[in-house]
Amino acid sequence: METTMTATRIDRGSTETTTIYSEGGDLVYERTFDAPREMVWKAHTDPEVIGRWWGPHGTTTKVAEMDLRPGGAWRYVSSAPDRDDIEFYGEYLEIVPPERIKWTFMFDVEGVGPQGGPETLTLDDIGGKTLMRAVSHMGSAEVIEGALATGMVGGAIETWDRLEALLAQG
Amino acid sequence: MQQPDPLSATFAALADPTRRAILARLALGEASVTELAEPFHISQPAISKHLKVLERAGLIEQSRHAQWRPRRLRAGPLRDVAHWVGQYRRHWEESFERLDAYLRDVQERQEQGNGDDHDGDTDRPR
Repeated sequence: METTMTATRIDRGSTETTTIYSEGGDLVYERTFDAPREMVWKAHTDPEVIGRWWGPHGTTTKVAEMDLRPGGAWRYVSSAPDRDDIEFYGEYLEIVPPERIKWTFMFDVEGVGPQGGPETLTLDDIGGKTLMRAVSHMGSAEVIEGALATGMVGGAIETWDRLEALLAQG
Repeated sequence: MQQPDPLSATFAALADPTRRAILARLALGEASVTELAEPFHISQPAISKHLKVLERAGLIEQSRHAQWRPRRLRAGPLRDVAHWVGQYRRHWEESFERLDAYLRDVQERQEQGNGDDHDGDTDRPR
């Protein structure tokens, strides 16, 4: 593992199973899977297998395009009963089986336009288990601060919206 | 790779606690620059600078009808972004859970040896 200088790690709400932290302009998710690396690699590169796990609970994902080589395009369509389909798409930047995929991860936010950026997925073999690391390269610590603050501010505003609606009812 | 996209502008605008406080105040209704400057011990030009950043990120706007040009919140983009941030986190956490379950399942089946794991590339679509 290479280390870059010493950017400070800041915990961003790790859970029992997933370590979440920011380091400089990167937002990092880490989790260990009790399975060999080849198998985890396959879970990320086999369209049929991706359909079985990718996306939050209650969603299904179809791999519409997967041209697994640098410069190749990918596109997943995520469906859920309570919303319209969402497309995630981008381009592969680097593929190193069975340990690393770098890609751009894009999606469209209504009223804002295409969003996202480069991400790196790394699989480390740690004695038969696999340490998976998903890194979102957000560019700067400031952007990460803002992204995380958005949840709070946005949540507060929604609450005020509801209060306003309630008050409007008299 | 640089990405000067609208979302980054929004996030950068939100990274500052004074600007978040301004948004929180505007969530209660429109306000003049003087009113917005009041709770902070900073100059009006400094507040104007913050307002400019928020405006560029599309988070607030000036209403044109009143002569004192009050600022008001544009909650739409913020709500979209907040929604996305929540989704993104959920996306990874729950995907990881599902992947974990999937991997366990496959390994259990292999251990039970109920099958056909080595006769070619059968992947048993279900």
